Amino acid sequence: MKKFWSNLSLNKKLALIAAILGVIAIFAGNPYGGTTLKVNEKDIALSTVGNSDKIAVTDLADWIIKNKSDFELIDLRSEDKFNEYTIPGARNIPLKQIPSSDLLRNQKIILFSDDNIAAAQGWFILKSKNYKGVYILDGGLEAWKDKVLFPKAPSSGSKEDLAQFEKMKEVAKYFGGEAQTDGTVSEIKQQIKLPTPDVNTQKTTAPTGKKKKREGC
Amino acid sequence: MNAPFYKFDYFNADVSLIIAFVIGIAFGIALEKGGFGKATILTSQFYFTNMRVLKVMFTAIVTAMLGLYFLSVMGFVDLSLVYLTPTNLLPMAVGGLVAGLGFIIGGYCPGTSMVAVATGKLDAMVFVVGMIFGIFVFGEMFPAIESFFNSSDMGTITLPAYFNLPYGLVVFFVVLMAIGAFAAAEWGEKKMAAKTGKEII
Repeated sequence: MKKFWSNLSLNKKLALIAAILGVIAIFAGNPYGGTTLKVNEKDIALSTVGNSDKIAVTDLADWIIKNKSDFELIDLRSEDKFNEYTIPGARNIPLKQIPSSDLLRNQKIILFSDDNIAAAQGWFILKSKNYKGVYILDGGLEAWKDKVLFPKAPSSGSKEDLAQFEKMKEVAKYFGGEAQTDGTVSEIKQQIKLPTPDVNTQKTTAPTGKKKKREGC
Repeated sequence: MNAPFYKFDYFNADVSLIIAFVIGIAFGIALEKGGFGKATILTSQFYFTNMRVLKVMFTAIVTAMLGLYFLSVMGFVDLSLVYLTPTNLLPMAVGGLVAGLGFIIGGYCPGTSMVAVATGKLDAMVFVVGMIFGIFVFGEMFPAIESFFNSSDMGTITLPAYFNLPYGLVVFFVVLMAIGAFAAAEWGEKKMAAKTGKEII
């Protein structure tokens, strides 16, 4: 083999290399697929219909309290808003920086913004960049405030609901919020100062080294 | 990191001119080293006595094609951002013939004429003056030929898209074509050398 190679003239060597690369090219596929966005519509449609791409704020609160660290929580809002208040443990990547972010494809990524729209846009960007585990925090920060920080007392007082509300009270306290026992929550909410991030971000430094694979969701 | 760098805003238009200058100089050196700074090389191509131009051009095409193809398959180059000249088949064929005549008569192509000017060749300087004059005439008569100029517009097409073939297969065919052309050129050169009794330059 070596002898065969060294017996060839330079021209023949180059021609041989070109021929080999040409043969490889037949099987190497379409070059336009390399950096352009690839979207699996079926996958996206299915996960949207089945709501498997969304995570409830109460679940997230639960995970944070249990100190789970198998997900990366991303705040898509501007840096100013992020500094004002964010969900404990969140990292700020404004939406326009999402395409060039350093997020890893093997991470479980939970996106949130004020509402679902920006998160859905970020979700689509990451999905089309072949990120597998991308999720939207359903309802965004608004839902977080309504359901976790300032949960409303259930109007129909079934035992189960009340027990659930007692639990939510604790959760709200944990995150520096307060459960609302009387009706007009949205008005009260304006008056209540949002908890300052410093109080709550003790867990932001939770070790992310070990990443457990979580299935489902 | 992704290419094309300019399209991805790695540098601005001013820097791109500097880079173009550097690449242009390197290109000129390569042409001169390839012997393209001599008018006889290009003209002998058309008399089939010396196929160096064909070999160099095909080598350049195959190298660029394989490089672009594999870099984009690996995701380094975004081919959809690489500029493609739109194809106007008939005007391009006519223009190609006119340019080809100019090559034979003058012994240079626009690029190599600049190389030959840089090495101080008088005929190349005349060639460049003629080229600029031709550009001027073309510009002046453009309104009269504009409809022809824009005729048979096929848009920006590529061989794989036009023939509906897998991209990699076309790459393979072009490589085969180049190797075939090389072999034919070498064979032809020997034949012509035997016929004219001259050794090729």
